Amino acid sequence: MSTDPDAEGESNVESGAARESPPGDAPEEREAERDAAATTEETRSASAETTRPDTEGLLAVRDLDAGYGDLQVLDEVDLDVADGEYVVIVGPNGAGKSTVMKSVFGLTSFMGGAIEFDGTDIAGMVPEDIIHYGLGYVPQNENVFAGLSVRENLEMGAYILDEFPDDKLAEVFERFPILEERQEQKAGTLSGGQRQMLAMGRALMLDPKLLMLDEPSAGLAPDLVDEMFDRIDGINESGTAILMVEQNAKEALRRCDRGYVLVNGSNRFEDDGDVLLHDEEVRQEFLGG
Amino acid sequence: MAGAVAVLLLLDLLRRLVDGSLGPSTLLTYLWTGLVIGLIYGLAGIGLSLTYSILNFANFAHGEYVTVGAFSGFSTAYLVAGGGIATLGNLFLLRPAAGQVGVSITSAPFAVVVGLLVAVVATVVVALVLDRVVYKPMRSAEGISLLIASIGVAFVVRYLLAIVYGTQRPGVTAGTQRYFVGEALGLGRFIVDAHQLIILVAAAVLVVGVHLLLTRTKLGKSMRAMADNEDLARVTGIPTERVIRSTWVLGGGLAGAAGFLLVLSQGTIAYNIGWRLLLLIFAAVILGGIGSVYGAVLGGIIIGIVQQASAVWLSGVWSDMTLPVTFALLIVILLIRPQGIYGGVETT
Repeated sequence: MSTDPDAEGESNVESGAARESPPGDAPEEREAERDAAATTEETRSASAETTRPDTEGLLAVRDLDAGYGDLQVLDEVDLDVADGEYVVIVGPNGAGKSTVMKSVFGLTSFMGGAIEFDGTDIAGMVPEDIIHYGLGYVPQNENVFAGLSVRENLEMGAYILDEFPDDKLAEVFERFPILEERQEQKAGTLSGGQRQMLAMGRALMLDPKLLMLDEPSAGLAPDLVDEMFDRIDGINESGTAILMVEQNAKEALRRCDRGYVLVNGSNRFEDDGDVLLHDEEVRQEFLGG
Repeated sequence: MAGAVAVLLLLDLLRRLVDGSLGPSTLLTYLWTGLVIGLIYGLAGIGLSLTYSILNFANFAHGEYVTVGAFSGFSTAYLVAGGGIATLGNLFLLRPAAGQVGVSITSAPFAVVVGLLVAVVATVVVALVLDRVVYKPMRSAEGISLLIASIGVAFVVRYLLAIVYGTQRPGVTAGTQRYFVGEALGLGRFIVDAHQLIILVAAAVLVVGVHLLLTRTKLGKSMRAMADNEDLARVTGIPTERVIRSTWVLGGGLAGAAGFLLVLSQGTIAYNIGWRLLLLIFAAVILGGIGSVYGAVLGGIIIGIVQQASAVWLSGVWSDMTLPVTFALLIVILLIRPQGIYGGVETT
């Protein structure tokens, strides 16, 4: 990233733009590939025409089987996230939505399939190693170190870096000014919304290519939920791809690029967020009409 | 109820001071010796508290780490101080032929310093080896399995030391400089000796050092993070195994130092000193709030002072009751504040 002070204000945008078209990968070429992929795609899609991106995207999960101990939860799950894309997983309770993210991050028992992230096979890796590839994860519960100060939490977010990224800290503080105000305060004393911001800030300290969020609106007061979604939009707009599990399915689908409906540990529907949102079957079964 | 008893005891203490049945110098002596021994409990307690919160089990072998520090430190001090007086073997085994070597800070300051350093290093090595051999293969086991394993470790270490050093309880220190502080202040007989001062200084330096480590360094913060939430630490990319090793280094080193200082203060050494201390260390840690470093030190000081000062009321045939009274106080405090003094406040 540029260290030119003049470019500071636009650094987010710049890095986002740079990511969407990495060197040696011309946009036209990718468009063509995408179209080719679309025509050959099997139809699990809610609409006739699928929009699944080319498999050269950021995250590609194929036929993933995973679970806890001997208990298999996921059955041949497929999932893709392209560079800079905003993808949401919705579905009924117990469908295995969180398990998908945990499995990608190496927190479950891997039982088969393939997980490729940014060109690296990460299936079976431990989180400690996965995090080095630019994948960030914010768990649903207990996602801050309550006994550490806000600043210390953010420092832990950058643990794997040899040199502390002052520029990233500044970015996080700019994005979440309340964290700068409360940086000396113990994280355990923060409100639910502030904790969620801190948890995201901690993950953003490594400037991940993909940020996985597990129910970021859970436990928030209704008037804070929209604000939280706005912040997530903001993170996505500055170039970070988002993979999110949400109970608040309608709002999540309204805002995302693409969505997956997961039922009983398997893919059921996948399509553009808006398409899913207006699909009669999806509405009836999963969005409460 | 407990408050009323405390007030009554305080009033009685004042009455005794006023009517002269308790000299101020005697009370000072109780407080001072209680502080010194309490600091040793606290030093040993920091390690126990850290391993409890980071590895999630109560390490019953922690007392043996104290004993390892005591023996390794004093064997070294004897070897340094006793050249030519006895064979190296006998010096190592703390069995000089005739005429004891007897180490003290005034007679052999260099030997004491080297002994303390070796006590720390040797105990760190023992703690790391035990972790690698016993605890690491059990890393994912329940706390209760680890606890039982640690009782086994305690027995093995204790009796290995008994086989090497025997089961007698020799005196190993020489007299040292005594400062008649009480006389100087016109308060009667209140003596501070050089070993007690060494303990005070060493304990203060170590506690401040641990505080700085935990609050200022990346390693220390990651230790607190892991004590706080192990799953999140893993998700954040904190190398948990490295943090665990650091915990043993820190906890083992402090236990070793505590063992050496304990012998320096009480003068005698035996294969079971750490084991006998373990209950008091646990008491200090629980009283302070398990997982809290400051709590362990404060808890240690309270336990030490109560143990000594209860002699105000428990004299003659009752003097054997100091330990039960100490634990009774622990129970009372925990009834009032179950989480301990610092418990639930913060991890440091």
